[in-house]
Amino acid sequence: MKLEDIARELGLTELTSKVTGSSQADIERGYASDLLSDVLAHAPEGGVLVTLQVHLNVIAVASHAELAAVIFAGGRRPDDEVCTKASAEGVSLFVSPADTFDVVGRLYAMGVKGNHA
Amino acid sequence: MTPPAIVRRALAEGLGMIAVCDHNSARNAAAVQEAAGTRLAVLAGLEITTVEECHVVALFPDAEAAQAVGAEVGATLGQVEGGYETFFGEQHVLAADGSERAPETLALATATTLDVDAVVRLVHGHGGLAIAAHIDRRSFGVIGQLGLFPADAGFDALELSRHVAPGSPDAAQFAVHGLPLVHSSDAHYLSDIGAVHTVVRCERPTFAEIVLALAGAHGRSVGDA
Repeated sequence: MKLEDIARELGLTELTSKVTGSSQADIERGYASDLLSDVLAHAPEGGVLVTLQVHLNVIAVASHAELAAVIFAGGRRPDDEVCTKASAEGVSLFVSPADTFDVVGRLYAMGVKGNHA
Repeated sequence: MTPPAIVRRALAEGLGMIAVCDHNSARNAAAVQEAAGTRLAVLAGLEITTVEECHVVALFPDAEAAQAVGAEVGATLGQVEGGYETFFGEQHVLAADGSERAPETLALATATTLDVDAVVRLVHGHGGLAIAAHIDRRSFGVIGQLGLFPADAGFDALELSRHVAPGSPDAAQFAVHGLPLVHSSDAHYLSDIGAVHTVVRCERPTFAEIVLALAGAHGRSVGDA
């Protein structure tokens, strides 16, 4: 599933714009957690993270875990500093007004699965 | 945990100084200071829950500074309602003799709307020390919540829980952040008081001396128990 298709289907607002080639990234796996230590340990490489955390560390963790994109649920928006860092690290950021459960449900319905599917 | 009982237990455990740090409130600190008199040094503080659900221990030069921060923290909390006390227990604001002084109607067990950086700034702005609480714990520890230690936040020290011994291999991984490590009981019950402690090398048990000891200045230091 292409990232741009996910963004369109879920009505996501993109917070980063200069992540080269990101819209064509193929997303097959996802992870949802607000504990960033847990994300670091378990998020699948190349996947998408759904989280409520908007701290700058999300980007460090996403970059280290080699995630393609982060979706902030519940309409939570990070500071501009976080978006700038994400662009530099090649991580696409999106925000959804929907809560985590609904975002994950829609992703799953589109074929994006977790580690144990 | 009434002020007289806390003081009795701390003295029986041989402690020279304690800090009273209710979750998101400093309303009981002055009462414990009064109950202690000159027998025991009591720092006024609070344990603040950030919006990321990280716990931050804040210690202050006096109860007034702690209460000023407590008021700002409290302004971001909701009210107790429904079955709150069934889950989180009763909340009391006590006088020095242990009698009930006022009801606590703020939901102290919930998170504030302030992020880690804002909490450290708030604490420093009132002359306090900001300590990353139980840094070794997966829940409510700053590393557990944020994955990596936020070096830029400006913490003054890291607190190890009673589950990790200072000087142990488990503690060593937290020394890499270049901040002093303190060991605290995080006592939620009388019997927890004194479970672990921190040795502070200083002239007298005061907040100003703790500041010097954490900075490792003028021959003061904090070390393993």
